[in-house]
Amino acid sequence: MSNDNNAVAVAVEKEGWLAQRSNQYAVGIMALVLLGSLWTLSIDTRYIYLLVYVWFGMVYGMFLQYGRFCMAAAVRDLFAVGVPRMAVGMMIAVALYSIIAATVTVGGFSTFHPNAMGWHIMLGGLIFGFGIVFTGGCASGSLYKAGEGNVGSMLVIVAISFSQAIFVSASGWFDRLMPTAWVESAVAKDMPEELSVQDGWFDIFTAGYVWDLKGATLAETLGIANPFVASFLVNTLVVTILPTIAILVLLYAVYYKKGYMRRVKISAPQFGDHVRGMWSMFTSSKNTAIAGIGLGIFAGLQMWVTGALRDHYQIYNFGEMLSAMGHTTGLSIQDTVFDPGYWYITTQEAQWGGWIMQQMGINMTDNIFFGLENGLPNPLLNAPGFMSIGIILGAAVLALSRREFKWKLPSLETAMFALIGGTLMGLGARIGMGCNIGAFFATVTNGDPSGWVFLAGMTLGGYLGVKAFNLWIERRSAKQDECEL
Amino acid sequence: MSWLKRLWQGRKVSITQEAREVELPGVGRVQVARRVDCLGAVCPRPQLLTMQMVEELAEGDVFELLSDNPTSVETIPSLAMVLCSTHLATVRDEQGWRIYIRKGL
Repeated sequence: MSNDNNAVAVAVEKEGWLAQRSNQYAVGIMALVLLGSLWTLSIDTRYIYLLVYVWFGMVYGMFLQYGRFCMAAAVRDLFAVGVPRMAVGMMIAVALYSIIAATVTVGGFSTFHPNAMGWHIMLGGLIFGFGIVFTGGCASGSLYKAGEGNVGSMLVIVAISFSQAIFVSASGWFDRLMPTAWVESAVAKDMPEELSVQDGWFDIFTAGYVWDLKGATLAETLGIANPFVASFLVNTLVVTILPTIAILVLLYAVYYKKGYMRRVKISAPQFGDHVRGMWSMFTSSKNTAIAGIGLGIFAGLQMWVTGALRDHYQIYNFGEMLSAMGHTTGLSIQDTVFDPGYWYITTQEAQWGGWIMQQMGINMTDNIFFGLENGLPNPLLNAPGFMSIGIILGAAVLALSRREFKWKLPSLETAMFALIGGTLMGLGARIGMGCNIGAFFATVTNGDPSGWVFLAGMTLGGYLGVKAFNLWIERRSAKQDECEL
Repeated sequence: MSWLKRLWQGRKVSITQEAREVELPGVGRVQVARRVDCLGAVCPRPQLLTMQMVEELAEGDVFELLSDNPTSVETIPSLAMVLCSTHLATVRDEQGWRIYIRKGL
């Protein structure tokens, strides 16, 4: 293989790196982003706040593509083919990111908010996990795969956007399925009339159930005041690193040990052999772990940069900046927009779908999700939306330069799976308050135990999804055999 | 309606019997018993095909898998380990990658 690489390297040197068509495209994308950024800044320098999201998105896209960082692959490879590689890489990334998140928190720049803890997170994770097996990519995985030219993954993004927008705004007979206690509690919140809180199951669910729950990091629950102890010892060590180690040991014992011992021909392994086995398991996940370090560093940096920009402009939300610039349409009734300040995927995609439906004349702002909390900004002014676009572009740049970009049209079957799975992912993401990034990765690493609940639900959903997927494949191949006879 | 069926199933995966010798970098000449062309297929199909091949082939046989799905290409060597088989080489070509796996250690 090395000979082959050398041959390619020599060829590249002869022609020059830029002579390759794919590298030209990669440079072209970078140049467009740079020119676009300069043009935007020339209109108003305050747009730097939005551009930070684009740039960090591009960096995330590159790392995601480099490490093939995909939660769907982690769950599916584990249960369908018994390969723990991606799951191990993901866990290493979680541990490393948590240390960086703690550093950012101690530095006072954290923009993180814990999720409300409850059974809904488990259920949301389960539906989400079932969906990702069929789409072949989680929320961030679909974005980087779209950047590799995978049209099926683009369909997944479309499905997630619209399904979320529909789920959070729909009302009808299914509203009556909500418990009366939730409806009463929602009405008692005295929300502005234009939100019509009693109509729409998601409004009742949010105001009547989620708002009555508490969300906190473990250190907050225990009431630990010392920031160092709270961030590093409690939130990072207890909430993130110890469970991560436990999961890694479990993955080794269940999925890796047997094959490793047979390969190195050890029949009665000692403790040292297991340590070497663990190490071999880690190194086979090297790329994902490297991506995890990179993602961790930059996700921490993003919190720091956005926090510093908020300080500089004296704002707490991008919505204030938008109204100061005269863009008042699309803000929520609190004059805010969705502006997490850290790595997040699904909410901005819901806003894309919601905005398009609003343009089609459907009232999308009579609900809590868009109307009160996140707003429905024009996609051109949707800062976190640009993070998602940045992820696609960043992944495309790296895929092009590694000669891995290839337009891939899905078969009808894959397209159908993408749309159905994407719809399930959208539903799960809203019930579970985020995707594998917002509800799991960014959550556990900041000391909020609700992320583990999401992972548990997602793992169970993934397991069921793999079972269902295998049933489908068997049924289909049985049918094909009949045809050939 | 055959075009609809083709669109539904996508590019067909082809599995062919072969008795061809290839020169693999770092390994030498190897006889390939079977060739699996799954260009265009996405996860988890290439992985599942790899499992199917290891199940069907005899100990010591080598098969060649063609894929243009980078995620699969990276996972298959680990999968070979789990299946107690040997990943011989991954060779880059114009369409994607050719992966060579020998059943058994």
